[in-house]
Amino acid sequence: MIEGVWLWLAFVLLAVTTLVTRGSFIVIGERGRLPAVVQRALRYAPAAALSALIVPDLLLVQGSVDPLNPKLLAGLAVIAVALRWRNPWLPFLFGMGVLWATRTFLT
Amino acid sequence: MALNPAFREGARAGLRAFVPISVGVIPWAIVTGIAMRSIGMDEFESMGMSLLVYAATAQLGALPLIASGAPLWLIFVTGMVLNLRFVIFSAAVAPALHAQSLARRIIGGFLLTDTAFAVLGEKLAQSHDPVWRWGYYIVPSIYGWVLWQSGVLIGVFGAGFFPRDWSLEFMGTIALLIMVVPMVRSRPMLVAALVGGFGAVLLRGLPLRLGLFAAILLGIAAGFAAEHWHGKKAGT
Repeated sequence: MIEGVWLWLAFVLLAVTTLVTRGSFIVIGERGRLPAVVQRALRYAPAAALSALIVPDLLLVQGSVDPLNPKLLAGLAVIAVALRWRNPWLPFLFGMGVLWATRTFLT
Repeated sequence: MALNPAFREGARAGLRAFVPISVGVIPWAIVTGIAMRSIGMDEFESMGMSLLVYAATAQLGALPLIASGAPLWLIFVTGMVLNLRFVIFSAAVAPALHAQSLARRIIGGFLLTDTAFAVLGEKLAQSHDPVWRWGYYIVPSIYGWVLWQSGVLIGVFGAGFFPRDWSLEFMGTIALLIMVVPMVRSRPMLVAALVGGFGAVLLRGLPLRLGLFAAILLGIAAGFAAEHWHGKKAGT
């Protein structure tokens, strides 16, 4: 893990990304306008980025693909629950429940 | 300013719209608090991160990188990419706040969240009174900040009560999943997510975790391409 001064430097860098992106047009004022093509392409950034962080965590066990692991099953349960209900707590309950159940009974 | 009736009226209208939906933020805040502690950060570091960064997605997304000792530039680039959508939100909100001072615009910008944009964005453009708009935007945004930091605080100090082998860090992945599920309702968005996700798995062997960055770029390109292809097929 990153520690000490380097960890705080990482926080500051992340804070800069928050301020630069959210502040961008609000701080500049009305002068700046993004090209329409860039705006439309940028709409895909969060979905692509979130998924790029999630899928490896669900599919990889110690660095290699394992299509039948507890985290993947839990992830699928989370997707099913999130599609079906708006309640923000349910995916956590079901996801962690499936994760613990499959770890307990299948291993 | 706070005594100005237009400001108070705006603030009341903003809170009426914002408070009910803001409840959904609490589990994410608690989970973000737990997730930070579960990778080995102490209470002080966790609260420091939350106060400085104030962005759930970037915070949760950076945690695996921090845990694995990734280079700082990659953490910066990942945070940038995860926050990129705010550039679009910022462009949309900017005209409503342009009458405010620079200091206020910087604070207002820092407090711009997904929830604030989703709930307040549309009405912000409709009022012609800049004072009303400022109240309507900034008061719910400050309330949202307090709510978020309180939730994180509960998670950070509650994390110690949960045993290690419960894999609570997985709640971070669940939170990311909850955010991505409503995003991928359209075909191009789904393509972007699938290419980004499986690209990250396939490219994981690249040095310096560059595979993650490459996968995100591929995902954006694939989503954009799918949108064009989809549009052409539909005859638009």
